[in-house]
Amino acid sequence: MDFSILTDYFSLYLEGFWGTVLSSVLALIGSFVLGAIIAVFRITPVKGLRWFGTGYVEFVRNIPLLLVVYVFYYGPSALGFTLDGFTAGTIGLAVYTSAFIAEAIRAGIMAVPKGQMEAARSSGLSYIQTMTNVILPQAIKLVIPPLGNQFINLIKNSSVLTIVAGFDLMYFADSISTETYRTFDTYIFVAVFYLVLTVPLSYGVRVWERRLQRKY
Amino acid sequence: MIDFHQVEKHYGHFHVLKNIDLHVSEGEVVVVVGPSGSGKSTMLRCINRLETITSGGLTVDGITVNERKTDINKLRKEIGMVFQHFNLYPHKKVIDNITLAPVKVLGQSKAEAEKTAMYYLEKVGIADKAQSYPSQLSGGQQQRVAIARGLAMKPKIMLFDEPTSALDPEMVGEVLDVMRALAREGMTMVVVTHEMGFAKEVADRVIFMDQGQIVEEAAPAEFFASPKEERTRTFLSRVLSH
Repeated sequence: MDFSILTDYFSLYLEGFWGTVLSSVLALIGSFVLGAIIAVFRITPVKGLRWFGTGYVEFVRNIPLLLVVYVFYYGPSALGFTLDGFTAGTIGLAVYTSAFIAEAIRAGIMAVPKGQMEAARSSGLSYIQTMTNVILPQAIKLVIPPLGNQFINLIKNSSVLTIVAGFDLMYFADSISTETYRTFDTYIFVAVFYLVLTVPLSYGVRVWERRLQRKY
Repeated sequence: MIDFHQVEKHYGHFHVLKNIDLHVSEGEVVVVVGPSGSGKSTMLRCINRLETITSGGLTVDGITVNERKTDINKLRKEIGMVFQHFNLYPHKKVIDNITLAPVKVLGQSKAEAEKTAMYYLEKVGIADKAQSYPSQLSGGQQQRVAIARGLAMKPKIMLFDEPTSALDPEMVGEVLDVMRALAREGMTMVVVTHEMGFAKEVADRVIFMDQGQIVEEAAPAEFFASPKEERTRTFLSRVLSH
């Protein structure tokens, strides 16, 4: 394996790496906020919101990620403005992932026994108080493992930015490999950069999960 | 204190409660018995609007339960409830289970709520478990915590929905003892149960329900010695013969 590729092109790798990190972090925050809102829509007693939530999830998670990104990349020009590849890709990534996160959160909330809601409500707590003090703290324990999976998927899926020139890790790797003709070696180092992100994340999720498990 | 007036409830096509008329006075202990599916738990759950009624009138402490302008959270402060499966919050310590509603609903300070919580834990005999999690307690202990949790709100009424049905037989006694003491202190109680001994000894009045109707109601001595209705006699012969 030719380590000179890594050393010679380190600044390019690094630029791509930061692009991937930035896009992932932004998409992670965005998808979590969006996913939590959609999850709440899906369980509220308000019919209209429930239908919207269900429609959103079923539509978004059943089309390819690339297509979602295209919507934000090519869509705006139809409306008379443009988004650069990084922005469009990151928004697309957040929207796509939010559908899966919404389902994970919803499943966690639904898995909390019904008696918990009844006990809290019958003691005079409001719906919101019950959600924040009783239901969500229990749901989070059930949601962490699937949420961790979604975040790892998100980081890997961020490679879709390459296709819309989003200046991520894969995008720079493509240009490195065309320059060096050392395709295999180039991408081996790319894999290492991805692992630097995903392995600690999945380890962290496991630790957090175990810590909550131990508590009660 | 609690007034059912011609209350009807339907679940789709299923007629769960039929023409329920029931009055519970302050300080009274009413025990509701009857076969499974007779609607006794549903009737109990209507009192704090965990179930809504289809028609008829229901007032608690002078407040109409099923009315748009009724602040249900305010009414529920006055009504403690104990469930068959305890429904303690597994992620909170015993003490925090008890202080949650007093702090959030009554606006008590944490210290004040903890003092009250310890008083009631003492009363139900498990003050030493204050810092434990519910999963570390036996069923009987969990149910006593649930009773303390209800009492900490200083309610005017306590509802018990088959409080001993999920317990191992040797733990039934400790929970009934707590309820007995509560009844002696003059708490208004509505108890759905299969414990006929408890009904006989503690109830001011026993209600027998079957197929969504109140079939018979009487003082316990009379209810158990000379039931009027055929259905009551059949039921009692089945539950008392073993």
